Amino acid sequence: MADGLQQIKNWILERHPERQDIAPDLDLIENRLIDSLSFVEFVFLLEQESGVSIQMETLEVEVIRSLGAIERHFFPAQVEVQA
Amino acid sequence: MPARPVAPPAGGLGWANLGMDIVSVNRVRRLLAQYGERFFERMLTPGELADCRTATGLDVLSLCGRIAAKEAAFKTLRVRGRFLPWPDIVVRRSDGGWPLVELHGSAAEMAAGSGIAEITVSISHDVDYAVAVAAPIIAPTPPAQPS
Repeated sequence: MADGLQQIKNWILERHPERQDIAPDLDLIENRLIDSLSFVEFVFLLEQESGVSIQMETLEVEVIRSLGAIERHFFPAQVEVQA
Repeated sequence: MPARPVAPPAGGLGWANLGMDIVSVNRVRRLLAQYGERFFERMLTPGELADCRTATGLDVLSLCGRIAAKEAAFKTLRVRGRFLPWPDIVVRRSDGGWPLVELHGSAAEMAAGSGIAEITVSISHDVDYAVAVAAPIIAPTPPAQPS
């Protein structure tokens, strides 16, 4: 898991101490781990960790629905190109 | 496992899906202390922030009330898979002090799609929490065309 994604996971866990872990496919919205107010803070953090500028107005729910989706959209694996 | 019941869509004759929200003052105070005013610039328009400003800075209870009102208004739209378009649901203080909701951009589109013409809100707050309730005003149905 990318460091940035781990920070995202830690941020959610800090706000939900009743949880020990978050499965990659757990629906963060359905399980109320991110609500409207925390979403704004979440976007701040996601921009900081991923280096990607995010327009909240056009952000689609599916890209942050789970840690797996966040990883795919914001922390794609770094592919090393061999010379 | 039984399928979930299907709620009627927003809008439509006889339906007024209310929205309600509650916001913790402590939570907003923490966000203000941690990120400063710039955090709320993503949620509130300059006019809304001006409504919340006092001689000593942003009034946290007013901020909480605005945030709760936007969320409550958004809930009346009953849209799936969309985040609250914070700057497009504007809650201003009218003459007399009552909050007025303006819908812009994507919020106006979502409202139109739900058959909602306007949204009315009421805000209340006490020491630790602000709450808001919102009700949609259903768009008039065009008269049926004679066959």
